[in-house]
Amino acid sequence: MSQVTFRDVESLERFRQEAQEEAESHRARVLICMTGCRSMGAIELGQAFREKVAAAGLSDEVAVVDVGCHGQCVLAPAVVIEPQDYLYGGVTPEDVDEIIETTLRQGEPVERLCQKVGDETAATLDQTPFYAGQQRAVLANCGRIDPTKIEDAIARGGYSTIAKALGSKQPGEVVDEVKQAGLRGRGGAGFSTGLKWELARKAPGDEKYLICNADEGDPGAFMDRALLEGVPHQVIEGMLLAAYAIGASQGFVYVRAEYPIAVEHVAEALKQARECGLLGKNILGSGFDFDIELRMGAGAFVCGEESALIASLEGHRGMPQPRPPFPVEKGYRGKPTSINNVETLANVPLIVENGIDSYREFGTEGSAGTKIFALAGRVNNTGLVEVPMGTTLRTIINEIGGGVPKNRSFKAAQMGGPSGGCLPMKYLDLPIDFDSVQEAGAIMGSGGLIVMDDSNCMVNIARYFLEFTQDESCGKCTPCRVGTRHMLDILDRICSGEGKLEDLDELERVADHIKSTSLCGLGQTAPNPVLTTLRYFRDEYEEHIQRKHCRAAVCEGLLEAPCSHACPSNVNVPQYLGLIAEGHLDAAMDVIRRRNPFVSVCGRVCDHPCQSHCRRADLDEPLAIRALKRYAADNAKGLSHTLTPPTSGDAEVAIVGAGPSGLSCAYFLALMGRHSVVFEEHPVAGGMLALGIPEYRLPKKALQEDIDFILRHGVELRTETRVESVTALQQEGYRAVYLASGAQTGRAMRIEGENLEGVADSLEFLRARGLGQEPKCGKQVVVIGGGNAAIDSARSASRLGAEKVQILYRRTRTEMPAYDEEIEEALLEGIELHELVAPNRIIGKDGVTSGIEMTRMKLGEPDDSGRRRPVPIEGSEYVIECDMVLPAIGQQASIEPADGLETTSWRTVAFDAVTLETSGEGIFSGGDVINGGGTVIEAIADGQRAAIAIDQYLGGTGTLPPDVSMSLFRASDEELEAATTSLEEPTLPVDERLSDFREVVSGFQHAGACAEANRCLRCDLEKIRS
Amino acid sequence: MTVAQAAESVDLALALKVVEEMSPITEGDIIPLLQRLQDTYGYLPPDVVLAICEETELPASRVFGVATFYSQFSLEPRGKHLVRCCRGTACHVRGGHRLLDTIERALGVKDGGITKDMVFSLDTVACLGTCFLAPVMMVDGNYYGQVAPDRVKKIIDQYE
Repeated sequence: MSQVTFRDVESLERFRQEAQEEAESHRARVLICMTGCRSMGAIELGQAFREKVAAAGLSDEVAVVDVGCHGQCVLAPAVVIEPQDYLYGGVTPEDVDEIIETTLRQGEPVERLCQKVGDETAATLDQTPFYAGQQRAVLANCGRIDPTKIEDAIARGGYSTIAKALGSKQPGEVVDEVKQAGLRGRGGAGFSTGLKWELARKAPGDEKYLICNADEGDPGAFMDRALLEGVPHQVIEGMLLAAYAIGASQGFVYVRAEYPIAVEHVAEALKQARECGLLGKNILGSGFDFDIELRMGAGAFVCGEESALIASLEGHRGMPQPRPPFPVEKGYRGKPTSINNVETLANVPLIVENGIDSYREFGTEGSAGTKIFALAGRVNNTGLVEVPMGTTLRTIINEIGGGVPKNRSFKAAQMGGPSGGCLPMKYLDLPIDFDSVQEAGAIMGSGGLIVMDDSNCMVNIARYFLEFTQDESCGKCTPCRVGTRHMLDILDRICSGEGKLEDLDELERVADHIKSTSLCGLGQTAPNPVLTTLRYFRDEYEEHIQRKHCRAAVCEGLLEAPCSHACPSNVNVPQYLGLIAEGHLDAAMDVIRRRNPFVSVCGRVCDHPCQSHCRRADLDEPLAIRALKRYAADNAKGLSHTLTPPTSGDAEVAIVGAGPSGLSCAYFLALMGRHSVVFEEHPVAGGMLALGIPEYRLPKKALQEDIDFILRHGVELRTETRVESVTALQQEGYRAVYLASGAQTGRAMRIEGENLEGVADSLEFLRARGLGQEPKCGKQVVVIGGGNAAIDSARSASRLGAEKVQILYRRTRTEMPAYDEEIEEALLEGIELHELVAPNRIIGKDGVTSGIEMTRMKLGEPDDSGRRRPVPIEGSEYVIECDMVLPAIGQQASIEPADGLETTSWRTVAFDAVTLETSGEGIFSGGDVINGGGTVIEAIADGQRAAIAIDQYLGGTGTLPPDVSMSLFRASDEELEAATTSLEEPTLPVDERLSDFREVVSGFQHAGACAEANRCLRCDLEKIRS
Repeated sequence: MTVAQAAESVDLALALKVVEEMSPITEGDIIPLLQRLQDTYGYLPPDVVLAICEETELPASRVFGVATFYSQFSLEPRGKHLVRCCRGTACHVRGGHRLLDTIERALGVKDGGITKDMVFSLDTVACLGTCFLAPVMMVDGNYYGQVAPDRVKKIIDQYE
């Protein structure tokens, strides 16, 4: 810029005119983020654009501008092209030619660089959900101007508000405006900015200071960085207004040294402003003097606290002072000082420019304006989001943020950094402002918003924050220094499996002390992450303590590898994957069977929590663990041996129900040398595996192999023997009983017409098929429900001759509990899915079903689980013609034999969470009968836990045999990196499926299986390797 | 060069030049002064700090108090390259602790340590403010985003 000095407002306005003309002299502008995107190659990209635009002879028409953050950082490096506002993400120098040709010459978007919304291309900022949902006011110029050029800022209105204020407003008027606009400090506490200024202004003395707090220390917050990097002049203008309002002539920007680009841009902006006369003596000829010094922090989180920040500026250790006196009375050098956060100051020009009413147009009664959130963590669109105060978390995370990635489920939103808390699902629809967040137990803080999903452990998160505050505690006051250490010690114990239940009370007790007696905000808020997680996720703490279990498979003290920890049965997954990779299938089977006898079954129908926690998912795709298990089961040779010699003699233990839970319990008892007998009411063993899951998913032969293996260990099976009473079994002499009678009755819909011919419970329908009968099937079949039983019934009906099968569900597909791959296959097979409908009545003619009347639903307010409740739409009733209705809306525990045992209000058997013992001594219970319907692997795991507890009850040690096969195989780092794709198992073509119940999915071949097993990172070996 | 040799080969004249440029130096300038000294030497050689205290008449207790309080300052030599691993929240929820493990293994030093050949120092930082890139590491002024553990060695190999 040519050297200009603005001696008065007119000269500034004249210059603005010129700058605007200059800015408009290009017909197109290429705006490249040169701040956050630098780390992803923005520099090379900028160079490529400049060279190629020049080579194309477009330099006079097209400006290539280095700008600040565009906001949607996940697209880095991101480029916006004006005037159309096309947004391109992940742009490389190789893309530049095409952009020049298609966009800069022809004005068309390069679609492959744009985002997709469904099948549509969202080419412009307005079309992308990320921007469409925002209200970018403070960030309006961020990403639009070159932050290193003051003329760019001036062209877009920069310094007009300070000119206006100096020319026509008294300092007191500025204070009043800011006060009435309702601006609250964006740094955390939310104190009224106007009030703070008023106090500073009215404090006696002429020497006053203004400090811009840019020590953005909250891990997870980066809006201040973006503002300093992208619109430094807006912050300086805010400081000028603040200084004018309070009567300060000296200011500081206290910025973190960890932000090199921010330091560089602010330093440059200060230099330019000073050269232009916008800082210094007699600014714009008004007589107002103000200058700003840039200071770098030296790495201490506590310096975000205002009295510690002042200590640091004065050259002391950054330790806080007791308040009062507050800095507005006695601050820097003992003089009145106003300390304001970067985002707060960047808001001020908007208020002075547009007036109070315009500012208050956005936001809530108590929290006016917009707020910038730094959206990060387990969310698709990470970046900076500016929304009106009062926007819900659901809007920010799901709509703007694009939701949680990789089919995981949202668990919590962490707000306010180490001083804040974790808000669970039920707060997704909470309008976010300073007060509402505080009521929920977190704080707005500076606006860091970290999304967490089911792969995050809440105990670990609490521990993480406490470790941070413990580390950053300055040590001045005892409650913070010693108290946080004490809390961290407790959390360390819990995370390594050595916690006690009393620890939770102790945590709360110490937390209260720290909160009420610490000297500064750091200590007063340090316990918040622990307190909120205890409040909302106490069950996770209890699990860590009682069961040594971390459901997210994160706490390393509790686990070897996340997959085996996530497996309810604790199968040593990495070991058997290693053995498969080495080709030792028999040994792999041996490893699996030490913790799970149903290998063929689980290789086909397990919901594979192991796979869902596979760390390889962080790199590309998780290992296909279930498919590898099936490969081993289908291809191992020496399967006829047993792990232990068969048991015999008089059975000590009676087991009710030969489902996966009962048979597993019998099997594990046998491994520990205890003989048992299993009673089964039906003629076949297997429970739901035989009578619920259709053969196209689980062939009878595969199931029978697993059952035969179990029986070879001496387990006695008595089919067609119904047990009427568990206590009677005890009287017969069995020393212990395991009740695993399942949940085999479908829930009734309780609507008119349920007794008509053609209405059949889905479980009975599936059971008939499982028992080898040919169940009667209609031509037009309607299935009601969204679980696996609904899908199984629908797909079975298709195979039994139904011409049209429709599944009706009252919520939407995303909420369906059925496995997603099953829903997908059902749709492929021509089954129709109708979402958001609920049955009213079944219509009959002469006692026979002829149709069903449905009501359309819409999603209303969320329930406690955060799922939005379906509500009927009045007058939307309609009739679907059908001759068969299969309700599949849930199952009921079969608790008939549980005489004398305590039950729950859910009509399930009450039990001890650790031992599975019921209220009857020596009577244990597990599987569907205690949870009303769970997964196969949960049922097997219950059988295992019960077997251990029963062995201990009978005087044994409850020890299962250890692994005898070992594999230390791990592919080399290079091989691990090269093997990126995960295989899928082959499926039968759709047109070959519907004539019979042939198995749809077939297993891996040898080469594929080895390649897949080779992808395992062997997390279990990590401790050995390090 | 070993750590001991590095400590011996300190040129005090460089520090005196800094003092001269910043004069007059008051207590309020302690942090900027130490920042410039650290920029000059790569760390704060204790002998230099003592000499500067005499030169400026700043109490040594005060200056060392500051130098040991802030995590940015180091009284021991630092490696030629500074590797920083972010331990911010976003990095943590995206596996940042495993990244740190991997870096520690690759360099053979723990957080705060320096390699025997003095090429690398390793520090953790509260947050690098680039949460959208999580997990993040930095070598000198360069950011590396979305670092899967298997990339660590490649990144470090670019420096020597």
